[in-house]
Amino acid sequence: MPTRISPPSKAMASILRCRRPLKIRRQYATATATAITPAASHAQMTRGEAPIARYPPSQPPSYKPPEFRKSQLLRQYASLLRSTPLMLLFQHNNLKSNEWSAVRRELSLALRKVDEARVAAGFPAEQLEEGVKIQIIQTGIFSSALKIVEFYKPETLPSTLDPTDPSTPSSATIPVFKSDGSHLTHTLSKAAHDATAKKSHALAPLLSGPLAVLTFPTVSPLHLKAALSILSPSPPQFPAPTRRANPGWHDPPVQSGMQKLLLLGARVEGKVFDVDGTKWVGGIDGGLEGLRGQLVAMLQNVGAGVTNTLESAGKSLYFTVEGRRIMLEDEEKGPSEEKS
Amino acid sequence: MISRFITEVSTVFNPFSPKAKTARLFLSFLPPNARQTMKISIKLLPRISKEPSFVELKFKDGMQMKLDAEKLGVKGVIEEVDRHSRMLSRQEELAGN
Repeated sequence: MPTRISPPSKAMASILRCRRPLKIRRQYATATATAITPAASHAQMTRGEAPIARYPPSQPPSYKPPEFRKSQLLRQYASLLRSTPLMLLFQHNNLKSNEWSAVRRELSLALRKVDEARVAAGFPAEQLEEGVKIQIIQTGIFSSALKIVEFYKPETLPSTLDPTDPSTPSSATIPVFKSDGSHLTHTLSKAAHDATAKKSHALAPLLSGPLAVLTFPTVSPLHLKAALSILSPSPPQFPAPTRRANPGWHDPPVQSGMQKLLLLGARVEGKVFDVDGTKWVGGIDGGLEGLRGQLVAMLQNVGAGVTNTLESAGKSLYFTVEGRRIMLEDEEKGPSEEKS
Repeated sequence: MISRFITEVSTVFNPFSPKAKTARLFLSFLPPNARQTMKISIKLLPRISKEPSFVELKFKDGMQMKLDAEKLGVKGVIEEVDRHSRMLSRQEELAGN
């Protein structure tokens, strides 16, 4: 099969080449400036760099050239992985574009139905359907983004001081630009690259071949159940919609597209689940509210049990004493009755 | 890959094993209309299972093939399929179709 992506072009090579000579140009500028300005003070000479960030805060210098599509995809995947707690992995085997659009349409319809049912049941409205997205990913870049998200936890948070903000005191020490970029901790930085280069993630064997991810903005078993019954129905737990309830799902493009999607696994709250685990998550009754209700009921039962146990000692003592009192009273009464 | 002569594909694999890549890639090599022309059954093993993955094929002339996907690799599997399919296509040509 011929590769669809062409090898790196000359334009890319030229971008890579001209990343160097910035320094030399700056030296030129200072050399001409010294003729006009007075000599630098002693403090300036010894301390070297002034507390000025030489880059906009939104564009820190990066280890990988940021103008490549690869780098931007890595950033995009990393932010996707950080923002999605529930993610399903599908293998897509040669779906045509009309099949993709049909599958997406059915998925969004089913999720919208779930949203409406929740609103009708009295829960606050949250439009989850807009946040759920199925997209094809580049596996290699996705796996390195996954490793960065999972394994790279920089200790020093990037400073919130903004040198361009007028309220920042001029004496503030800002951890400023070092020309090698060694202090930076963002996704494209060298530190992130070095920290994750030799790690391997539990999802790594799944990340090969044609792959698509379905991402949810929150862990919602109800929505997961709806999505599973559309994308990979398995009769007892996730029944496919009936022809009467949802005739659109039985259209030929949806059917052929659905058959070619293969659920491989899931990542839920940073943990890796296989197909059975995914079905278990989708099968939690009543979603998170249901789970919370179960937990509350269980805790209440425990509480009632504890109070019963604690009360029972006092009660039994009370009954014993009371019984004894009645017995004594009877004994007192008994002889008196005999006397009279 | 010549997939005209395949009538049935059944695979078993555990997607969490790195060796299952072969079976998965083989599935992705089947053409978009594969579900109409052949019967495809896929069985996914749970994550902890150590059972080997394989690809089982049936051809139009009744030939059955059980390929060990872990040893062959996807190139090897396709080579085996093509070897038989080429023979079938030659027979078809000689028969005058």
